[in-house]
Amino acid sequence: MKLRAIAFNLFAWGIVLMVAFPLFWMLVTSVKPQSELFRRPPTMLPEAWTFEHYARLLFDTNFLRYFWNSVILSTATTFVVVIIATLGAYSLVRYRYRGRETLAFLVLFTYLLPSVVLILPLYLMLVKLGLSNTITSLVIAYTTFALPYALWLLRSFMAGIPEDLESAALVDGASRMGAFRDIILPQLLPGIISTALFTFILSWNEYLYALVLVNSDSARPLTTGVMNMLISSFNIEWSLLMAASVMMSVPLIIVFAFLQSYLTRGFGAGGVKG
Amino acid sequence: MADVIFSDVQKNFGAFTAVESLNLSIEQGEFVSLLGPSGCGKTTTLRMLAGLEFPTSGEIRIADRVVNDLAPGQRDIAMVFQSYALYPHMSVGQNIAYPLKKRRVPKAERAKMVAKTAEMLQLTPLLGRKPQELSGGQQQRVALGRALVRDPKVFLLDEPLSNLDAKLRGYMRAELVELHERLGRTMVYVTHDQLEAMTMSDRIAVMEGGKLQQFAPPQDVYREPANRFVAGFIGTPGMTLVNGELRHEGGRWLFDAPGLSVEARNLGPDARPGPAAMGIRPEGLNIGTGTLPGIIQLVEQTGHENIVIVRFGDDLRMTGRTPPHQLWRSGETVQCSIDPDTAHFFAAGARGKRLNAPLQPATANGRVSKTTLKEAKS
Repeated sequence: MKLRAIAFNLFAWGIVLMVAFPLFWMLVTSVKPQSELFRRPPTMLPEAWTFEHYARLLFDTNFLRYFWNSVILSTATTFVVVIIATLGAYSLVRYRYRGRETLAFLVLFTYLLPSVVLILPLYLMLVKLGLSNTITSLVIAYTTFALPYALWLLRSFMAGIPEDLESAALVDGASRMGAFRDIILPQLLPGIISTALFTFILSWNEYLYALVLVNSDSARPLTTGVMNMLISSFNIEWSLLMAASVMMSVPLIIVFAFLQSYLTRGFGAGGVKG
Repeated sequence: MADVIFSDVQKNFGAFTAVESLNLSIEQGEFVSLLGPSGCGKTTTLRMLAGLEFPTSGEIRIADRVVNDLAPGQRDIAMVFQSYALYPHMSVGQNIAYPLKKRRVPKAERAKMVAKTAEMLQLTPLLGRKPQELSGGQQQRVALGRALVRDPKVFLLDEPLSNLDAKLRGYMRAELVELHERLGRTMVYVTHDQLEAMTMSDRIAVMEGGKLQQFAPPQDVYREPANRFVAGFIGTPGMTLVNGELRHEGGRWLFDAPGLSVEARNLGPDARPGPAAMGIRPEGLNIGTGTLPGIIQLVEQTGHENIVIVRFGDDLRMTGRTPPHQLWRSGETVQCSIDPDTAHFFAAGARGKRLNAPLQPATANGRVSKTTLKEAKS
C-alpha cells in the first residue's frame, strides 16, 4: 500500500515537472546573456544574470504598445461578454418562451464550429462595417466565440440560484431590476468571476483571429505583435522571445493565483449542470 | 368586510388548468388555510395573490382594490416562503431590514423597527449572523421577521413549517396562532398538512385538482365534509369509505355493501336510491359490541389510543380507535357496530357530494382548537 502511494507520488511529480520545465526554461533563458544561449552542454542556471533582454524589449521595441493593446482588448471583451452573458443567462433561466431551449443550443452550436471556418465571413463583415484593423474588430470577434461558453457557464450558475430568492425580493418591494441587482448579482458573483477569467485568458492568448483581422502595429495585440517582431524567416530572437513570454504570462499568473478558487468552482458548476 | 376576494379566478399554464374558476372571500383579520394534496393549485393561488403569477382570467382584490396588474411590491403584502428564501449574502439584520430599505424608510427608523421585530422573535443575539449559520428554526423566525417588520395588510405563508422537525413544528404552530391574534392581520396559509390547517385556521379552503372543494371552519370541514374527496382527505386516521347502494324501504333508508347493511339516518333531500358511498370515521366504529362480526387485522398502539383495523367479509377494511387499555390481537374475531348517527353518505364518484342533512353548528365560531392549542403550549 505504501509502495503504491510512493509510486503514485513519483508519477504525479513527474507530470508536474514535465509541465513546469518549459516554464522554467523560459524564465532561465530570458535572463541568460546571448553568449550562453546555445552553449553545449547547456547551463541549467545562468552563469551571469542579465536583464538586458527585458530592457531592450521595453525601451527599443513596440512591446509596451502591444501589451497595452492586449490589456484594452481583453478587458473590453471581458466586459462585453460578461454583461451580455449575464443578462442572456438570466433570460434563459427565468423566463418561459417558445424556442428557449433551441436558442440555447443554437448558441452552443456556433462554439462547436472550428474557428477557421468563421474567420473569413467575419473578416468580410468587419471590413464592410469599416472596422478592419481596429481593436474593436477583435473585441467583436472574440465576443462571438467566448459568449456561447460564457452563456452556458452562467446559465448553470443562474439555475442554481433558487427562484424563491427573487420572488421574496419582489414581494419585499424590489423591482425586477432591483431584485436582480440586490439578490441575483451577489449570488452570481463566483460565476461572473470565473466567466470573466475564462474570457480574459481566452482573449489574452488568442492568436489566429488577431493574425487575420489586424495587421497594423497600432492595433496588434501581444500574441501577433511579438511573433511579428521577433520571428522572421531568417532568425528567431530567442532571448527576447523568452523575455516577452515571461512578461505575457505574468499578468495571467497573478490573476490566476488570486482567483483560482473561483475558477475551479466555475468549471465544476459547468461540468455538473451544464 | 372582506379583505381578500377571488372572483372567478382561473390560471392556465398552457393547456394545463392549475386553478379553475375560484371564488373565495376572506374576511379582514381572518386566518385562512389553503389545504390540499400536491398539485391541487393551492400554491398557485397564493402566488397569484402575491403577484408572482398572474391570473389568466378573473379578478383578485385586496382591501377593496383590484390588484391583478399590480407588482408584488405594490400590493402591501408580506410572504414567508417554504424555503424561507433568506438572502444568503446578507446578515439576519440586513435580511429583516430589506423590505424597509426598498420602501425607503429612513435609516434610523429602520434600525428601530428591526430591533423591535428581532426582540419579538428572540433574534436579537443573531442579528449579525448570516442565514447559513442558523438552525432551521432560527431561519424560519428570520423569514417571519422579514414579513413582520412592515405592517402589511395581508400575510401570505407558503408551507412555512414543513422543513422543521415535528416538535418544533408543534411549537411554531402555537406561536403563529398567537402572533395572528396579537396582530389581528389577515393571514393566508398554504399547507398540505391537515393538522396545521385544522389547528390554526378560522376557515379552511380545501382544494383538489385546481378546484375549491369546500370553504368552511375546521370543525365543519371535519363534521360535514362537502364531498367524498374532502371526507377522505380530512382526518387522521382517515375516514373509511365504502361503496354500496342506497335503497328506500318501508319509510326508511338502508345502505347495503358486500357484508354490510346499515340504516342510513340523517339523509338530506338530495338522497336518491342507487349507487352511493358511506363514510365512517374511526370514532363511528364500535369495536367489541354489536352484531357485526369482524376479524382484527392490525393494531397500532400510539400510547394514548389504539388504532385498530378490522376486516369485514372478504375485503372490507374499516379503521376504528379504542382506549389504550382495550387491546386486541391480530386475527381475533370481534363483534362490532357502526353508529348510524355518525355515518356520512356521498353520491357515487370520486367527488360525490354529501347527502346528509345539515348538522347543528358545533361551536359559536369554530375556533375551539386554538384554545386547546394554547393550553397545550402553556
